[in-house]
Order: sequence, then structure tokens, then C-alpha cells
Amino acid sequence: MTLPRRNFIQSTLATGLLLGGAPSIHAASKAKKYRTALIGSGWWGMNILKEAMAAGNCQVVALADVDSDVLELAAEKVKSLSGDVPKTYQDVRELIDKEKIDIAIIATPDHWHALNAIAAIGAGAHVFVEKPTGHTIQESRAMLNAARAANRTVQVGLHRRIGPHYVSGMKFLKDGNVGDIGSVRMFVHSTGGAEKPAQNSQPPSNLNWDMYCGPAPLRPYCRKIHPGGFRNYLDFANGTLGDWGVHWLDQVLWWSEEKYPKKIFSSGGRPISGPAVFNEKEQTTDTPDSQIAVYEFESFTATWEHRKFAGNGLEKHSIGCYFYGTKGTFHMGWRDGWTFYPADSKQPTVHQDAQHDEPDGHSIKLLWSDFIAAIESGKKPTCDIEIGHLATNMSLLGMLSYKLGRSIEWDGAKEKIIGDEAANKLLRREYREPWKYPTS
Amino acid sequence: MFPTFPLRLQTASNLLVAGFVRVQLVLNSYESSYGSFQSSASLIRKFLLVLPFACQFPLSAIGDDWPNWRGASRNGVSSEKDWQRNWPSDGPKIQWKANVGIGFSSVAVTNGRLYTMGNSDNRDAVICMDSKSGKVLWKHSYECPLDDRFFEGGPTSTPTIDGDRVYTLSRQGDLFCFDALAGTVHWSKNVAQDAEVRIPGWGFSSSPLVHEDRLILNVGESGISIDKNTGEILWQSGDAEAGYMTPHRLRIGEKWFALIASGKFYQCVNLETGKVAWKHRWLTTNGCNAADPIVVGDQVFISSGYGRGAAVLSFTESSAKVVWSNTDMQNQLNSSVLADGFLYGFDGDEGAEPQLKCMEFSTGEIRWSQAGFGAGSLMLADNQLIILSETGELTIAPVSNELFKASASAQVLEGKCWTVPVLSNACIYCRNAIGEVVCVDVSPQK
Repeated sequence: MTLPRRNFIQSTLATGLLLGGAPSIHAASKAKKYRTALIGSGWWGMNILKEAMAAGNCQVVALADVDSDVLELAAEKVKSLSGDVPKTYQDVRELIDKEKIDIAIIATPDHWHALNAIAAIGAGAHVFVEKPTGHTIQESRAMLNAARAANRTVQVGLHRRIGPHYVSGMKFLKDGNVGDIGSVRMFVHSTGGAEKPAQNSQPPSNLNWDMYCGPAPLRPYCRKIHPGGFRNYLDFANGTLGDWGVHWLDQVLWWSEEKYPKKIFSSGGRPISGPAVFNEKEQTTDTPDSQIAVYEFESFTATWEHRKFAGNGLEKHSIGCYFYGTKGTFHMGWRDGWTFYPADSKQPTVHQDAQHDEPDGHSIKLLWSDFIAAIESGKKPTCDIEIGHLATNMSLLGMLSYKLGRSIEWDGAKEKIIGDEAANKLLRREYREPWKYPTS
Repeated sequence: MFPTFPLRLQTASNLLVAGFVRVQLVLNSYESSYGSFQSSASLIRKFLLVLPFACQFPLSAIGDDWPNWRGASRNGVSSEKDWQRNWPSDGPKIQWKANVGIGFSSVAVTNGRLYTMGNSDNRDAVICMDSKSGKVLWKHSYECPLDDRFFEGGPTSTPTIDGDRVYTLSRQGDLFCFDALAGTVHWSKNVAQDAEVRIPGWGFSSSPLVHEDRLILNVGESGISIDKNTGEILWQSGDAEAGYMTPHRLRIGEKWFALIASGKFYQCVNLETGKVAWKHRWLTTNGCNAADPIVVGDQVFISSGYGRGAAVLSFTESSAKVVWSNTDMQNQLNSSVLADGFLYGFDGDEGAEPQLKCMEFSTGEIRWSQAGFGAGSLMLADNQLIILSETGELTIAPVSNELFKASASAQVLEGKCWTVPVLSNACIYCRNAIGEVVCVDVSPQK
């Protein structure tokens, strides 16, 4: 498919203006110190907060986490880096009630994103939230609606929309260098083997496990979940497709300027990990170790695949998207930058090395300055909540089809699955008392 | 053949055991008397008089045993002198290779026998081998999950030899007392279940400390004491996550204490009562206080990774205060060693390009840094650092607080090596995560 050139020019113009305008915005921002709270103060949350502190435009007033040790360490770090002495909260509700915050950074596991974002917006704050937006589609929709109703800025951590090599790669694609693009393949492959269950145990004394589970079922604690394993539990996240998938699915939306697919089918399972184990004594993870999802759009089809075994030794890349066009194959990658392999073998490959910031090959610094610029200009940020919502929906629709074991037709305008009531029930989930599913 | 002179330092029970064990006990007494420096100037003088004398003993004929984690003196330092530190270009001879199962347990060596642990098929095994041939003399296995989350899993503690007994602790809390020669089980119990205390995230990893008639383990909030003859609990501490370091014994005045780190504190625990004499807040991400403290007189060096850093505390019987504290030496997995007032250890978390560093004990100032070993480990013998890199390269470097300069180096293993190398009786034992053990022959050239 080809893209209207006009759109492209507009988007590069916008980027150019943003980058060109950055110094003055930055200078202006320094005058204003946003009262900032971090909700979810572990490794990733602190990475975002460090960039926020380094930008010099926030005063860290509060930290929330369900783990008192994590809170104490984070508060100590904040003090040593910025001199701010944030108040610490194990119950995020208290933080929202007591602190008049201008900005909430949300870096909890997925199942907490919607409640925290909506509460923060309700209290008048702008929100920087990690992807995915929601754990179910209607949570995500409620976040989007809340942001619009309160006219708050919400930036989603889709750094691949702003990282320099993604921006230049997308320009290369949209300039027509790959010709007419007919299909896209997204993939993330790694190595691994069978999984053994781990014993359930008492949660660490510093962890409020009930609050960790929050609106999700209160399942027995196990070290595979926390610290660091929530993505592999469907109660708290949506596996590889709900993690990595959101980034690469978003690249497809960014390139195509589509909002949603019409038809989705996904299949996968745990052939190598083995069946999920969950009993009183022990548990394994329960997300698929391999999965394929097919997204049918109006004029092209995109596929997702992940495998947590075998790696991808046969191919040049293990992570990213292949855009297949009449002039060749374009790979948008992560640490391997982007590369164009022309169909005509006489033509040279075109490559750009990765350009992103550390830690973890993200571009938090750019996302943060874009976020502050959006707050101050009243314009939408580069990774606005709607963009995050649509990319998240893609991954959640794939998971939904995987769970149902059948293909679904998506009415993206109404956000309903056509003619499948059982499927529509999965657009939301039951919350555990006393938490209330957000209404949009 | 073995020195028996410092009888005054031996405890009554030590006198009952056979000669070869006496070396260990005597050396243990060095470490013990370290703790009494601050309380008795006269003892310091006695110690200083004794030390050069001790070095003159003909230990070299046999070399030094290494009866437990960090060696007889429990500080990662061996006094063994007669070993080859200049190797031929094709490296030193590999005397034997064996596989003991997955894990990170190092070796204990006495009387020509080597003891270590590993896991295969979700069973831990305690293995006794001939230290010169690698031949398995006995093996005892029991059900224990590999528990390989975030690392290869398997046992992380090292057997402790005490006379004719061997004591081992699994990550799940299985505590064994074996007959060192026959491998029969004198007694065993699950100490976490009996004490009703939780298992910390990565499982128990302390090696048993023997103090008089009891074992001290880093189990529970501030340790547990077990009758070494019966397995009976003598005292225990609260139900909170233990740290991962091995209890370190010291004497203050006339009383015996152990430094024991939980996930949140370094604590000085009275060994008679189990009472915490003082504690110093040392909260580390994931409760991972794993490095052993280094005591000099009335000061102790502590260090952890995950951004925590290091400190020297000065302490009395009832309190401790910070002398200095910084983030320039973060011992995440393995402990530092001390030589002539300088610490040598690995700074930084695995995967984040840790560096070997030399740090002044009294000030915390870094003298030099050397990259290239990954998350390595080291011990000290005869003023030589014996370093095993994370990828299995064994390096010898003379101790110097001015610069790092390797004198010999050889690739002895492949794969991940997080287990500290052990020199004992002119062999250096190295081990990787999947359980390959090599015995590197460093006997003096004839």
C-alpha cells in the first residue's frame, strides 16, 4: 500500500518543530516545577523518574509502591539525585487523596494501570503511563475517555515512536523507498526450554501482596511473579504479545495510519514450557511460550509471532518488524537499528545503526521532554493515550482470539466484536472487591 | 608437622580432635582473635608476635587445608606459600575434571578429601571426592528443587568440615550432619520448617559456621543456632528474610558474636543468646546482602550490589557507627579480600560490567580499577590474588595497591563462573554453574 505524501510531510514537520523548539521549551519548563508522583517505584519506574529529575522540571513529592523496601530505596535514591524528600505511600489511594500532584508517572504491572491513571486524572494530574495502557480493552478505553473529559495530557511509554532510528526508518518507509508495501511481519524470538513449577510461599514481609494483586484475583504468592515476573501471568499482564507486541503493533499502525484491524486470529500455546500449573502448592507461569496472530486490515495483512525457544538463527534478526514491499524488505529493529534489503540483489543494502538512549535501549528522555512540551502547549504528545490505546487494543485482541480459540471480527469504531457475545465479555474483566471496574 | 603451639587460643572441644583438624582450628582462632583487637591491646601485640612465627611453619610440604567457605581463617585468605604462580604458555596442568551438578557451591578440602554440592534432576547431592584424583568417595543425594529462576539454580552454600563431621545447608533449608569419612548421615532436618521461618527469594546460601558446640546459620531474621551434635535448635530469630552472606564470627571483650546480614540489616548477634547486640540498616534491592563482612579490629567493612555500595562501621559491644560510606565498591555476588589495609573485590552487578577494584579500607578511596573479569571472584594466597573471571579465566596477580598487573592467566573453564576459586594443597579448584569442577595443578616445579 502507498501512503499519501501529504501526511508524511506533516508528520516530519511536526517532528522538526518539536526538536527545533526543544531548547526554549526546556528553558521555560525549568521555571515550572511540576509536583510529581511515581506510582510503582521499582526498576522501570525509577528509570523514568531519573529522566524526569534530570530534566529539571519536576519536584518529586510522593512515591507509591506495594513493597515497603522498594519505597525506601526509591526515596533514598530520589533524595541523593535531586535533594527532594518525597512522601512514601504503600496505598496509592492515600497518595492521590493527600498530595496535590501535577504529574503521575505510572509504572506498575498492567492490571493496575487503569485504576491509577484514572484516579490521577481525576485528581487533576497529567499522566505518563507505561504501555500497555490497559489489561483489558474497556479499561484502556476508560483511560482515554477520562483523559479527554478532564483535558489532561497522557503520554504512553511507546518510545519506539520517538527514538531517532525509528523516526528515520519510518521516514525511509513513508518516502516510498521500499515501494508498495503488501504485508508486515512482527516477531520476537528468544531461547528457552521447559518450565518447572515453583513453590507457593508466604509473600516477603515487606510486600503488601493483597495490594499487589489489587483488582486481579488474589492468587497465592510465588517468587516467579514478584519481583519481576508479572508479565508471564495472565492475571496481571498479557505475556509477550501484551508486552513486546504493543511496540511492534504500534509500528504497523504508525506506518499504515490505520486505527484498527477488521479481523484477528491468534493461535499458540505452551508446547515447550508445558501446561500451566496452578495449585495450592506450586505454580508455573501461564502465558503462551509461542504464539502467532494474524491482523487483517482493509488493504493489507500483518502477522505477529513470538517464540521463547530456538532463537532465530536462520534469520538476520530476532526482534522487530519486516515490511515487505515491491522494492524489497525493510527491517525495523531495536539494538540492530534498521536495514533495507533491496529485492534487486545488485542494489546495496541500506542501514542505520540503532539510535536510542539507555537504559535498556529506550528513549525516555525524548518521551519526557515531549510530554512536558505537550502539557505546556496543550497539544497532544507524540505517544498520546489514543495512540497507546489503539496499539494496546491490537495486542489485547490477539490475546482475546488466542484465549477463545477462534477468529474475531472487530468493529473498531464501536469497539465491539461482531456477533460474538462470549468474545465481547472478554473486553472487560471482573474486579476483586473492593475495586470497581472503571466505566467509560 | 602441624603447629600446635597456640593452645591458649583453642577451645576445650578443639583439643579433643585429631591433629589434622587442629590446623583448621588454630587458623580459625586467628579470625576469632581479630574480633578482640579493639578490646585488648595486649592481645594485638601477642598476635603480631605470633604471626611471623606461624609463617615459618613447614606448611608447604602439605599446603593448607580449606575446611570451609572463605577458608580456615574465614576471610578468603590462605597462608599457603609453596605453589606455582608462573605458568607455562599452554597453562597449568589440569589434574582432573568432574561434574558435580548444577550450582554455585565452592569446595571445602581437608585431609585429602574435597566436599562440594550440586543439583541434578531436582536432587541436591553432597559429594566427597579424593582431592588429588577427583574420584568420588561418597555421595548423598536428596530431593531438592533446582529453583532456577533468574539464574541456573542449585545449591549456593559450601560444606563446612568440623573434625570428623561435614555440615551442609540447601537453599530450601535442608541441614545435614555427615560423617566426613563414611558419608553416613548423623542427623538431618529442615531448619526452615522446624524454625518456621521463611525462605528468602534465592534460598538459603550461607555456609554453616561452627562455634564451639553449635552451628550458626543465616536462617531467619538474625540467624539460628543449632546443636552440632544433635541438630536441636538452641536459639532462633524471627520470621523474616535472611540475607545471603555467611555468619562471620568475632569476639568483643570476652563474648562471642557473629555478624549476620538479613535482607535489610547487618546485625551483631550474641552467639550465646541469639540477642541482637546492634544492627545497622543496610537495605538492598531484593534483600540481596550477599558479601561477607571483613573485620579489622573494631571496624567492619560491609558491601552489597544493586546500587547499595560499601561502608566501614566501627563498633562496640552495643553499637555501631559509620566511619565512611560510598557507592564505589558494590560486592553483589562475591566478597572482597583484605591485604595490608587494602580491599580487593568486584564492584558492580553482573551484566553491568563489574570491575575489579582496589579500595583503601580506612578511607574508602579507590586506588585502581580493572575491567575484563565480568562478575568474577577471588581469593588471596601469599600476597597473590587468585581470580576466576565470570567466563572461566583463571588469573594470578600480585597484590599491589598501586596497579593491577597479572602474572599468569589460563582459560580453565567455559560457561558462567560465579563460584570463588579455592587454593588448597597446591591445587586450585574452579567450578562453573553447570557443575564442572577442574583441579588446576599448581604444585611447585621440581
